[in-house]
Amino acid sequence: MTITVELTYDMAKVLGTRSIPMEAPRTVAEVLREARGRFGDQGEAFDRMAGVAAIAVNGVLVAHRREGVRLADGDLITFVKTASGG
Amino acid sequence: MIKGFAGRVLEIDLEARTFAFRPLDEDIARLYLGGKGYGTRLLYDLTRPGIDPLGPENPLIFATGPLNGSLAPQSNRFAVVCKSPLTGGIGSSACGGSFAFGLKKAGIDVVVVQGRSGVPVRVEIDGDTDAVRFLDASDLWGLGTGATQKALGRGMHHAVIGPAGENRVLYAGIVSDARIAGRCGVGAVMGSKGLKALSAQGTRKLEMADEAGFKTYTQWVRQVFKGHPVLGEKLRRFGTMGIVNTTNGRNMIPTRNFQAGHHPGAMNLSGEYLEDHGLVGVRSSCLHCPVACGREVEVPGAGRVKGPEYETAGMMGTNLGITDLAEVNRWNWMADELGLDTISLGVTLGFAMELQQRGLLSTGLTFGSPEGVAEMIEAIAHRRGMGDELAEGTRRLSLKYGGKEFAMHVKGLELSAYDPRGSFAQGVEYATTNRGGCHVQGASMYFESTGPLTINPQNLKLKAELPVVQQNLACAVNSMVLCIFTTYGLIPRQVHALKPSGWVHRLARVLFENSGPAYRWIMSGKLLQVTWMDKWLSRVTGMRITSGHLQEIGARIFNLERMYNLREGLTGADDTLPDRILHEPLYKHMTSGHPLDRLLPQYYRLRGWDEHGVPLPETLRRLKVRL
Ligand code: SF4
Repeated sequence: MTITVELTYDMAKVLGTRSIPMEAPRTVAEVLREARGRFGDQGEAFDRMAGVAAIAVNGVLVAHRREGVRLADGDLITFVKTASGG
Repeated sequence: MIKGFAGRVLEIDLEARTFAFRPLDEDIARLYLGGKGYGTRLLYDLTRPGIDPLGPENPLIFATGPLNGSLAPQSNRFAVVCKSPLTGGIGSSACGGSFAFGLKKAGIDVVVVQGRSGVPVRVEIDGDTDAVRFLDASDLWGLGTGATQKALGRGMHHAVIGPAGENRVLYAGIVSDARIAGRCGVGAVMGSKGLKALSAQGTRKLEMADEAGFKTYTQWVRQVFKGHPVLGEKLRRFGTMGIVNTTNGRNMIPTRNFQAGHHPGAMNLSGEYLEDHGLVGVRSSCLHCPVACGREVEVPGAGRVKGPEYETAGMMGTNLGITDLAEVNRWNWMADELGLDTISLGVTLGFAMELQQRGLLSTGLTFGSPEGVAEMIEAIAHRRGMGDELAEGTRRLSLKYGGKEFAMHVKGLELSAYDPRGSFAQGVEYATTNRGGCHVQGASMYFESTGPLTINPQNLKLKAELPVVQQNLACAVNSMVLCIFTTYGLIPRQVHALKPSGWVHRLARVLFENSGPAYRWIMSGKLLQVTWMDKWLSRVTGMRITSGHLQEIGARIFNLERMYNLREGLTGADDTLPDRILHEPLYKHMTSGHPLDRLLPQYYRLRGWDEHGVPLPETLRRLKVRL
């Protein structure tokens, strides 16, 4: 099972990548843990930036750290910062 | 005369080359304010049903409001009202730039342009001498909007059209400085009259009811705006393109003619990317606006020009499957120069690409490929070859070549760059807004998917209330005439500061989502002055105006627009969404599209309309809508 995690622009700038493929996370909480682990020294920066972004699974907002959100093959997890309209 | 108004309407007849100043109708001004409201009342009263929108009998109405000409931030805007050649219903569009300031300084609230000139003409209004000059514009005919304004010089403030308006492209706009009244084909109406430019200037002073109070209050508001996370930070720093990453992350940025809501390369079209790669360091703004949401970019061959807005990035970028910022910058500049609405243009190009994809019509345009796009934009503006077909807009194209189910318009007006399957209230707005599929006649998506709270956009809670309140507010804002972005300032900064990962954010979302009746009650309170606008308006006009009054004025305007549309043959059956939006799921868990059928009856009830979307007599009576 492969899912894709897309970071916010700020996160991508600091962490040096726009998106990360993951092989086998089953929940959003696992995605957060695994992503944090992947960024090693920058784990704290990841936490800080992830905290001020919302999380969406295939565009639908989900609660941070919610273990109950099951993921499926091909899912897209996005970190989303609020903005205005225009 | 109510303060804040100049008190005069200028009537111009292009055929007879005559003009007359008439007193502003105070009763109309009290009931409808200025801008879009006053313009709609005039359009209704001046025309008989069924006129040809491109005929001389369609008046082109330029209207300012009581806040224009003042130093209130985001207030130098004007409305244009006429019968829309694109929809056949009410046509209205708003524009920044500086023309509104020029008009107001000339001591004029409203200009009504009637008739048609046999040869290209331009009109100059000198407010200090009350001279109105009709001048030959043959030498300007064919020039772009920037070149025209340059040729006209800096002494006056201008509203002009480009080749698209001259050639009556049905989605041509009217330009002032670097801003455009883009929607509904108002530029085609100006072109049909042979009017290339309208210019105004003067040094008249605007009289206010409480000038000192207005100044003090404005200074305070400026400070609030300066520190506001949207107006003072995000919009200021990233412009409207700052929203690209948000809508892309929420799966609602139109992609390949709304076949998808996410494009992996969309980040390259974002305000953040622009800041890092394309922005030349200069913000551009409408006159006196401290927010300065515009951006300048470098376009080869054109130099430093105004950059694209979010809508352009969405519609002429991801909607075409293209994320090359340089191309989008270039197309945006071309569209501005030619005087084309980039929303309708982008949707029409996307539709042409899908016609090609499905083998319904050979348009030479393919999703993901920039090849032929620039040439097609030129061809549209000059109505050459296939461009002549695309100049008619998406609806007409679909009626001729098929593809009605994926023609992305409502009432003939092409949809904006928010996919309503990810924003149900926005979908209700698209379906019911009188001018057609539009995002600035309410902007519910701010509360559903892009704003600080992002209430669940996909349940039915609040999804009928929100559009009613938002549409009313937008009608009032467009009648003052203020920039719609002022409404973003209504959400306190503390709400923006909530962390999406925290429980307070979650609680606030849930409370807001369940606040339908309370929301309506608070916004309609006739005692509370809760918005910047009502406080400003009271200080300028001397009338005590509350947020409830603004809601009532907005509802009055909305209902009059509705009656105009009904008179012109539009019905409740036109309150719908494209089949793709109604029936094709966009999100993985969705089984269908937008649940409009479940929300529309509730919306009609809240509006005081019958089940066919016709305002009930008691609703019109209550709102004092005279027919
Ligand atoms: S915020 Fe932008 S569109 Fe609105 S008045 Fe200011 S510069 Fe013009």
